[in-house]
Amino acid sequence: MVKIILLVLLSEAITVIGQILFKKSINSSGVYDLRNRNDRLSFLSEIFTRPYLWLGLLVMAAGLVVWLFAIAQGELSLVYPIGSLQYILVLFSAHRFLGEKIDRMKLVGTLLVMVGIVFMSMS
Amino acid sequence: MNKGHLTLKIFLLIVLNDFVDTIAQLLMKKGLIQTGIDSINLSNIIQFTVKSVHSPFLWLGIFIFVLNFFVWIVVLYKVDLSIAMPVGSFCYIFVPICAMIFFRENISLIRWAGIICIVLGIHFVAQSKKPAQGELRANG
Repeated sequence: MVKIILLVLLSEAITVIGQILFKKSINSSGVYDLRNRNDRLSFLSEIFTRPYLWLGLLVMAAGLVVWLFAIAQGELSLVYPIGSLQYILVLFSAHRFLGEKIDRMKLVGTLLVMVGIVFMSMS
Repeated sequence: MNKGHLTLKIFLLIVLNDFVDTIAQLLMKKGLIQTGIDSINLSNIIQFTVKSVHSPFLWLGIFIFVLNFFVWIVVLYKVDLSIAMPVGSFCYIFVPICAMIFFRENISLIRWAGIICIVLGIHFVAQSKKPAQGELRANG
């Protein structure tokens, strides 16, 4: 039980690091109009030259392996409520590492989502 | 382009992404169940790994996971990570609501409370102030 909780927490933390790396690489890309097919392709080809993106993929792959070990042993109904912690983790690390704003609306909204997920898994 | 703003299109893209993610998770879980091992320890970790990598369900799940990643990249291009992630929690209420509409399943009171919390939470997150495009770039 404790092992599963720790595995889920570890995997969530790794996932958040991966997401931060993705967003960091995407923020450094040029401006594209993604409705346009050619722009979409050049956007993707630019993104995939970014070391942060590949580092993110590597981190995510590691997170996925940890996650698979967790869900192989734990009920998804237990795993999901613990996983809801990632939302608050993302909020603060996106602020710290990406400079994304935290305002009251975002904070309250994120907390509500977390409470909601816990409720959803309680029945 | 209106970056940072959560439009209906982006909202639907995030919901689609999370919905497909859920399917991928279920496929992976099915693949792992088929290994017949429900507790992993040092003595069977190799056996577990070997059995897992031979599971087509696991690989199908991983394949869908990878395809879904491209959708996620587009989402992240458009909105803040701290907006995109909580909005994705919409998938938590998607399945019970579908079950209610299509299979006339009952939703317990506590689940209704959960659904209301998540909908309100997403609404609040979507209302949060959007940074100007210049700020977004500067932070990149």
